[in-house]
Amino acid sequence: MQAAIARYPKDRQRSAAMPLLHLWQEHFGFISDAGVNWIAAKLGLQPINILELVTFYPMYRQQPAGRKHIRVCRTLSCAMAGSYDLMQRAREIAAGDPNISVEFVECLASCGTAPVCMIDDELHENVDPHSIVDLVRNQQPIVRPRPEPHRLEHRLIFKNIGRRDWKIDIDTYVADGGYEQLKKALTMSRAEIINEVKTSGLRGRGGAGFPCGVKWSFIKPDEKKPVYLICNADESEPGTFKDRYIIHEDPHQMLEGMLISAYAVNAKTAYIYIRGEFPEGAQILENAIEEARAKNFLGQNILGKGFDCEIYIHRGAGAYICGEETGLIESLEGKRAYPRIKPPYFPAVLGLYMCPTIVNNVETLCHVKHIIAMGGAQYAQLGRPNNTGTRIVCVSGDVQRPGYFEIEVGKVTMGQLIYEMAGGTKPGRMLKAVIPGGSSAKVLRADERFKIKDRQPDGSTIEREMFIDELPMDFDSLAAAGSMAGSGGVIVLDDSRDMVWVLNNINEFYAHESCGQCTPCREGSLWMKKITDRMMLGGGVVEDPKTLKTIGDNIAGRTICAFGEACAWPTQSFVEKFPDEFAARAKKPIPPPLPPELTPEELIEDRQVPVRPLAHDPGWEKAGAAGTI
Amino acid sequence: MPNETTSPPQSVNVQIDGVWHQFPKGTRVIEACEQAGKYVPRYCYHKKLSSPGNCRMCLIEMGMPKMGPDRKPELGGDGKPTINWMPRPQICCAQDVSEGMGVRTTSPLVEECRRGVMEFLLINHPLDCPICDQAGECRLQEFSVEYGNQGSRFLENKVKKPKNVELGPRVTLDDERCILCSRCIRFCQEIAHDDVLGFIDRGSHTVLTAHPGKRLENNYSLNTVDICPVGALTSTDFRFKMRVWFLKETKSFCTSCATGCNTLIGSREDVIHRQTPRENNDVNSSWMCDYGRLKFKYVDSDRRLLEPRVLQNDKLTATDWKRAIANVALQLKHFGGWNIAIIASGRMTNEEMWLTSRIAKSLGTQWIDIVPHRGPGDDILLSEDRNPNTNGAKLLGLTSEPGAMIPKMVEAIKSGSLRALVVLCENPLELGLTADELRNLPAFITMSISQNESTDLSTAVLPSSAFAEKRGSMINGDGRLQRLNRAVRPPGNARDDWEILRDLLQALTDSNGVYTIDDVFRQMSEAIPQLAGLSLTKVGDLGLQLVNIDESPAPPRAPKEDDIELAEAKRPPGR
Repeated sequence: MQAAIARYPKDRQRSAAMPLLHLWQEHFGFISDAGVNWIAAKLGLQPINILELVTFYPMYRQQPAGRKHIRVCRTLSCAMAGSYDLMQRAREIAAGDPNISVEFVECLASCGTAPVCMIDDELHENVDPHSIVDLVRNQQPIVRPRPEPHRLEHRLIFKNIGRRDWKIDIDTYVADGGYEQLKKALTMSRAEIINEVKTSGLRGRGGAGFPCGVKWSFIKPDEKKPVYLICNADESEPGTFKDRYIIHEDPHQMLEGMLISAYAVNAKTAYIYIRGEFPEGAQILENAIEEARAKNFLGQNILGKGFDCEIYIHRGAGAYICGEETGLIESLEGKRAYPRIKPPYFPAVLGLYMCPTIVNNVETLCHVKHIIAMGGAQYAQLGRPNNTGTRIVCVSGDVQRPGYFEIEVGKVTMGQLIYEMAGGTKPGRMLKAVIPGGSSAKVLRADERFKIKDRQPDGSTIEREMFIDELPMDFDSLAAAGSMAGSGGVIVLDDSRDMVWVLNNINEFYAHESCGQCTPCREGSLWMKKITDRMMLGGGVVEDPKTLKTIGDNIAGRTICAFGEACAWPTQSFVEKFPDEFAARAKKPIPPPLPPELTPEELIEDRQVPVRPLAHDPGWEKAGAAGTI
Repeated sequence: MPNETTSPPQSVNVQIDGVWHQFPKGTRVIEACEQAGKYVPRYCYHKKLSSPGNCRMCLIEMGMPKMGPDRKPELGGDGKPTINWMPRPQICCAQDVSEGMGVRTTSPLVEECRRGVMEFLLINHPLDCPICDQAGECRLQEFSVEYGNQGSRFLENKVKKPKNVELGPRVTLDDERCILCSRCIRFCQEIAHDDVLGFIDRGSHTVLTAHPGKRLENNYSLNTVDICPVGALTSTDFRFKMRVWFLKETKSFCTSCATGCNTLIGSREDVIHRQTPRENNDVNSSWMCDYGRLKFKYVDSDRRLLEPRVLQNDKLTATDWKRAIANVALQLKHFGGWNIAIIASGRMTNEEMWLTSRIAKSLGTQWIDIVPHRGPGDDILLSEDRNPNTNGAKLLGLTSEPGAMIPKMVEAIKSGSLRALVVLCENPLELGLTADELRNLPAFITMSISQNESTDLSTAVLPSSAFAEKRGSMINGDGRLQRLNRAVRPPGNARDDWEILRDLLQALTDSNGVYTIDDVFRQMSEAIPQLAGLSLTKVGDLGLQLVNIDESPAPPRAPKEDDIELAEAKRPPGR
């Protein structure tokens, strides 16, 4: 416990609250009142400060779980692959065995191998209602060979993923030329590194696509406060499962990228905020850090170059909002992950512990290593102008070969990705829609026409009408198509899908994950979910599509963080692009306000309710007629 | 809590709804709008607390000056900067004004934002205004009128949350009414320094609560009720007692300690129902302690004295004021100065103290002091000195060191050398005197608001008024002159203290000419240099800071033994 506390600055003991809660739960199975009080006293906090955390992060339990705890993923890609049936089976198993407990959880970030479940700390891929019985009994994970890289791929970050001759230890990594870029970077000046990254045109791979070099240059060169670097390994956008493989199969690449970046922004302390659902990944990274320390790649006076840097792991506990950088910072400070208002709390100025802080995605930090290796200019040759480099695209949903593909940004089209790389739609099925950048991205209809400005080599642009197949997989084209490249999670929907069901699944995710801090998202996300719930159960009324749309409009752009857009965009786009499907599920003519005797349940049950005008007050009418009001 | 003084502020130009205004640098945009007459609705923002920006009610359109290629603002036809409007609405509670900033508070986008936020806040809010204590002073109600939709589009079941939660001994919570603005949590952290409130659970199911093992019981807990913009936090004492629109609100201040927190007394038909703090940045910011706030119950006590009584045939008998005053004057005239002691109170107003000191002079006694009342204080508002007007007593010459003379008086009463005792608004039984010793006093006159063991032993009892029943001034611990205003009338035949003392003074001296309390103040201001040129009216609602209040007149000097022996005892009419 002392070691967990020592990872944070002396006067910032509160940060150790989450690690201590993890330790307590690992030891006792759940967080009791005694645990809350003990941890509060240990850290000099009030019990309420700890209770706030225990109830915010779903992974902390206040009740004991079974000896075996099964977590089944509920979110879109897994649900499409049958996780509701899987959950049903798991419930049956648990019903007959008091030692087993089950939980339906949100995205476990392995959408390419859907449906997935975790049994205790171990992830199981492509589980079906039959195989889960064996899994619970034996718990031997089935190791499937990783596919060979597709010919359209350009593997940079994922070079070592799935390599048969690859091990995750540091010797393999060093023998493969690892940590050479760190050595090279330590001979460069900070400004030089930042310039290389700027030249490379690297854009953040977490979702927003902000230029990385520009972000770094917000840190003043003569900064007096300590600077922190945080690696955002809270991969949790449904449809995205790239960081999982980097962490589990190539941890030193990530550490090297982090160390170079820490050096560039002069951060002496760096944290890896890894999502709680990656316990194995956290352990792999802990080991990797120790290996790197033994070789003096981190710690004091790295490689004799006078640069000190420590990297610590901070585990999350199942809250999507921790992927938002200021929410992540609050969480790292040992608080509920409430995103901060910007202004004034821009992380580069007032970040972790109110010090300048850079938060980068796992993949982004890995790219830094390759930028140092290739040089920024060379790196910028990859991909397309303003959309440089490679990026990992994760395909899940209704395709034959879901999985990850590292492509040069914009050099592969949506059609190539879906039909060539991911094997196309399932036999006899047609493409209906694509969610191109994680579940929060606006959906694209398969039969839409997009007007995209195509940048020519001479710098001029030509506007061209495109089919969905022709869309280049890059930031600018997908933005121009009215959606976004986001986190690179492409969810493919075929013609068997009910769009109201899909939206309902997404809405449930966002309603569950809304942190509840600011009004529009807190109230709106649950409202949208309740409406689509009712529509799915047959209680849709004619106003529902319009109501859904306006709820989305009232959330997007009005919230503290981008979660507002994330939860509103699916609703706005689904309702707008599939009006017939929504209208078909919204047929009841009862307009709001609902007669007082009618509950949503009764709407669903189709009880005969007379449609009648609102009761009116004759006195009011009289007064109105006399012109006295 | 004194104001932080800053260096002279620079001004910046800000355009609000098309009109250019100037504000000092560092002004919050939301405050600037308010100063410009464009009130922006808000729930979470409170100017005395940090800004989390979570309610989203104060969304406005904001713009910054358009910069030319020379990095200078481009000027429009009117010579003012052209404004680059941001496409998204911005909250105005967390940002300071800056040069050339533009703000729109009434645009269609802003109205739409407010309507949207109002709808979101109301979908899960119970429709229980008719039984809600906040009704009438509820921000949700107020902004609903302006930005609410007429009907509800919400067809679903509302989120269920705990009701009637006892957060502490004085605060009750209805979680379904809570809009999660976090004002109360921030108050507890930032002002009361008692971090007991927090949110548990997540999203729309978030619930405000205290840890089961640690309740909201600090001495400032009721301020959370004041700042709660809705009916979630209610005062356990006040809830279900009175609709707020029936309350008459009287500006006053709290007399429970030397801080003198400014208050509003809420009363109806001569009954006080609640006391709430009133903003005064030189005294109490926007807060007051629970101890002071709830200390008004005695005003409505069953033990209030309703008519003057004098001793007749060994029995305290009700009489009228004219006879009572004449009787008291007669009793006192029997004694020489050194036989008479006056125990006054630090709870009296300046006017009462001034008249008391004149009575003492006319009686020729220097046996006069106030009773010190002390208790544990804190670093927030509560003072150790529980007398609200110790400084007044010093300035008006009643004492130089409160209580220094009391032991000697007690000794002199016990030894029989002091034979007449006048007690004003205090209980001599608390000073070490026994009932027998008081009973043996030939003259023992008390002025008090309620009956107690000592009033029963008196030779005359004069019923007076509580702080909320009278006008007058006091000087708080920091030397600030503040004014009490009458919120309710005293019960029965009880009178304003100053009138009783004036009548007694006139009966003792056969003088005349003081008709109103303002006359008393004028006499004081002529005699006391620190009050020169002042009047009760000039004190105003927020009080006045006095200077040099430590330079008070020569304090009364303790009498010597010889003086006492010289004094001639006569048979008084009392006993």
